[in-house]
Amino acid sequence: MINTPRHVRGWVFALLLALGACASPKISMQGSFPIPLVNPYPVAVGWVLDEKLLSYTHSEKVDRGKEWVIKVGSVQQAMFDSLSKGMFKSHVFLQEEKAQPPVKVIFVPAIEELQFSTPAQTRSKYFEVWIKYKFRLLNADGSLRGEFPLTAYGKAHTQNYSMNTTTSALEEATNAACRDALAFFALQFRTLPPVKTWLDEEGLGG
Amino acid sequence: MLLIVRLVAVILTAAFCGGCVTARVEEIREGHTEMAAGDTIAVLGRRERPSAAETELDFVDCVSRNMGGGDGVSVIPDRTFRDTLFPWFEPRTAPSNTRDLPDLIGHPTFIERLNSLGIKYLVWIEGSTRRTDSAGTMSCTVSPAGGGCFGFLTWENDSEYEASIWDIKQRRTVGKVSSDAVGTSYMPALIVPVPIIARVKNSACTSLADQLKTFLTSES
Repeated sequence: MINTPRHVRGWVFALLLALGACASPKISMQGSFPIPLVNPYPVAVGWVLDEKLLSYTHSEKVDRGKEWVIKVGSVQQAMFDSLSKGMFKSHVFLQEEKAQPPVKVIFVPAIEELQFSTPAQTRSKYFEVWIKYKFRLLNADGSLRGEFPLTAYGKAHTQNYSMNTTTSALEEATNAACRDALAFFALQFRTLPPVKTWLDEEGLGG
Repeated sequence: MLLIVRLVAVILTAAFCGGCVTARVEEIREGHTEMAAGDTIAVLGRRERPSAAETELDFVDCVSRNMGGGDGVSVIPDRTFRDTLFPWFEPRTAPSNTRDLPDLIGHPTFIERLNSLGIKYLVWIEGSTRRTDSAGTMSCTVSPAGGGCFGFLTWENDSEYEASIWDIKQRRTVGKVSSDAVGTSYMPALIVPVPIIARVKNSACTSLADQLKTFLTSES
């Protein structure tokens, strides 16, 4: 056994603590999402989730140069899978922007922008996250029907995360933003202009 | 030596007098309540928008646990309820008052799920615990040879919570229960800090949960 002098061990411990405090906050979203409780549309749809979406990572330097990293691409498939299970008769994830019957339309989501704020920036006790999506709506043959934006917001109060406050609260704020995107999609779906036109054509406009 | 004797006297006084909590519970009844076999309630925290007084998740969980413990009522926790009825109770979509309920009840899938869970009442909790006063100083020293703290800290916490009880079927508020608790905590330190903590939030939680149980189960 190596006998390290006590004061050396003390300094090493203090150094490790200091390094821990300086570490860059990094989160990689994981997990599942609830299936929305809505009346499903009796149609089959397709989803194209490209590599850019599935690997979407936001990096930003704030707080004296610390780099914050939020990997949100990792949950996109889980999000749209749960959403579709509640909203449509059936769904399929496609490799290309074309589909065979019974798929009627194809959704191609993209994250245009992700922003976040820390309690230090807003002088509040909240981490906040905004995600701006753009959805393309395609016919089964790949032709464009229209586009619509979707902006989601999530927040998390630091008081609820006593351990690892920064990463836990930021992760919860990001999770809340993802849920907000799904809630918006599920409840506002029929009012979105290109969707409304399509639903009317299918006789599902109700 | 005299200073140490005085400090020990202060510590002993704090140990006997400190950590005490004064709690007050009030209720306003606006309608008849009763719980039958199979009836369930959901305890939810309000968090629609950023607010300095957002209800803590652990407080909402604490009320749920205390209401459901022992011979208590059947309670569905906040997160489970929101997931089961997603997306109707998200910050963007949650009903802000009972006037919004008819819109929700109008959705067949929603009411079907609500009935399958046996939900009879929704309990919305608002409020928070704040530090209202603090005093004293404490200094700590750490060196390779050792360390220690010396001083005295005291702080007062104030918990103010209110629970609104909604009757889902009647689509109206049937009552409100509020719980206020105040307590002072002390931390004397003579080499080692000795915290004497007043469990203000816990006291507000148990008082509120007990009163809510009484409110819902007593037929009046």
